[in-house]
Amino acid sequence: MSEGALPKEDAVLRVDDLQKSFGGLAATDHATFAVERGTITGLIGPNGAGKSTLFNLISGFYEPDGGTVEVNGTDVTGMEPYEVADHGLIRTFQTPRKLEGMTVREAMLVGPRKQPGESFLKLFAAPGAVGESESANLAEAERILEEFEIDHLATQPATDISGGQMKLVELARAMLAEPEVLLLDEPVAGVNPTLAKKLKDQIRRLNEQGTTFLLIEHDMEFVMDLADPIVVLDQGHVLTEGTPEGVRSDDRVIDAYLGGGT
Amino acid sequence: MSALDGVTEAVADLSRPETWVLGVSAAFALFLLAALLTGALGPTYFLFLVGLAGMYALLSFGLNAQWGFTGLINFSVAAFFGVGAYGSALMTADSSPIAGGFNPLVGLVVALVVAFVLALLIGIPTLRLRADYLAIASLGLAEVVRLIVLNERWLTNGSAGLRGIPSFFQGWPVLSSFPEAMPGLRLVVIPGSPILLETAFWQSLLNVALVLAFAGGAFLVLRRAHRSPWGRVLRTIRSDEDLARALGKNTYSFKMQSFILGSLIMALAGVFYTHLNLYVGPGDLDPITTFYAWVAVILGGSGSNRGALFGGIVIVTIREGTRFLNDVALPIDPAPLRLLLIGVVIVAVMRYRPQGILPPQRELIWPSAVDGGGTPEPPDSGVREQKGSGGDE
Repeated sequence: MSEGALPKEDAVLRVDDLQKSFGGLAATDHATFAVERGTITGLIGPNGAGKSTLFNLISGFYEPDGGTVEVNGTDVTGMEPYEVADHGLIRTFQTPRKLEGMTVREAMLVGPRKQPGESFLKLFAAPGAVGESESANLAEAERILEEFEIDHLATQPATDISGGQMKLVELARAMLAEPEVLLLDEPVAGVNPTLAKKLKDQIRRLNEQGTTFLLIEHDMEFVMDLADPIVVLDQGHVLTEGTPEGVRSDDRVIDAYLGGGT
Repeated sequence: MSALDGVTEAVADLSRPETWVLGVSAAFALFLLAALLTGALGPTYFLFLVGLAGMYALLSFGLNAQWGFTGLINFSVAAFFGVGAYGSALMTADSSPIAGGFNPLVGLVVALVVAFVLALLIGIPTLRLRADYLAIASLGLAEVVRLIVLNERWLTNGSAGLRGIPSFFQGWPVLSSFPEAMPGLRLVVIPGSPILLETAFWQSLLNVALVLAFAGGAFLVLRRAHRSPWGRVLRTIRSDEDLARALGKNTYSFKMQSFILGSLIMALAGVFYTHLNLYVGPGDLDPITTFYAWVAVILGGSGSNRGALFGGIVIVTIREGTRFLNDVALPIDPAPLRLLLIGVVIVAVMRYRPQGILPPQRELIWPSAVDGGGTPEPPDSGVREQKGSGGDE
């Protein structure tokens, strides 16, 4: 595989000429790339390259100034985050989000999409259906927690677990939403090596089971080992795209990281 | 004997604050009973107080559904209470300048519809924005509603208020004549101070039945909602709205539902108040009602329905109990200090128990889903016996 954007037939996420400026700063500058179904695509770039902005644009948290985002062949540009999620794109956040007053398994149960019990009327009109779906979701949540080897945390307060465990719970919860493509924002930032290894194994396992990943990560060793292909972002635009080896030996990438100018 | 064991076990299951609240409540109930039997507390007045307690409980339930569940900051509790009170008063009172004379059930429906519309009107522009905008807008709304009621005489009678409001049960088959039909009773528990149960007493009894129905209904609805996936989304929004959005929840819609639900419950409190007091005036929309409701919810524990109920009762106890302090010979009149007293209570709670006295502490999962696994609630361990085959699917 050589560098450069290859034509991708089966792209689960397609970003085309995306632009976003804050004041005079072009945080995302005509970014174009695609994430092929079944891959773990890495998104790297120096600090301030616009990776998180790009995530926010893709997931609907920011509205782009121009360009389009397609998920599963549907144009989701300008949609609300929950609508983007409905099309199968789920994201996590850089800092784990704490759910106060919930146990880990309660926090997990926020994950499943379109639960019958999320309709206020159905709570009273169809309590049986609500109970069935809740039981099924609870069983599924516990199964996933077990796969992630954190089932012993199920009834712990969600705010009392370590940062690394929170990252695991976030990933596990995102899986309950049954994503087609999962955007992970720095999954191992601040996570100890043992848990990072565990996260890597989980991501790989879930990928083998069919989930597509797009992940931002600063830990080069982690991302080079896990992701293929890798998209390099610099100053808001896509610098290059290719295999880990190709990207690593690319002079422009080295320049960007060392601040050698463009 | 076994029944007693059951009670003992149930008490043993309670957490410390629960036991404490139970003990204090029991002592307080005994105190009230003694006061009733000795004639120190008139039974009709006592029932009026129970009605007020129910009313404050409703207000706290409503605010709890907004702030406690979802984190919506609503400073216009008094406005929704007032809309409920005026909505039903304008439909039913003799002196109503616009309608009047309708069955109180019509008043109830009109009050709820007006509260619904008002909640929608204030929610549409503010609920898409950050939480503080609702707080600011609702602060304004409370004043706007109060000033409209005070100044639009053609609509509300202005500062004169509305008189000639019928009891809630007027026009009902049996209940409308129930107070008159009941015989006057004279109970003598302590010689020399008989307790009289007359028409006013039976009327108050009906009022208490009404508020118990309102508050009980609201409590059951909120309890179910709180433990449901619906309530879980609200609690997620309270902690982190972006997370809920990223997981595919239409947070605007959920916030709107929570806001409307709470507002309707507050309006219900207003409807009850109208038929309890039989007079409403612009003074009933004073911001103090909002303040009381907030104190009750914070005191009881934000997010907890039981806490809101407890907080509502504490508020009435302080508000009405301080009236009697004037009878005690003190160098100053303590009654005007009741706000100070409430302030002291709030400071003490914030200092020693910032989560409130009865915060929600049990895991909130739809009961049948948890009970189905045979584990008691809360379970000792997260690993449950019955699990899937373990295979991936």
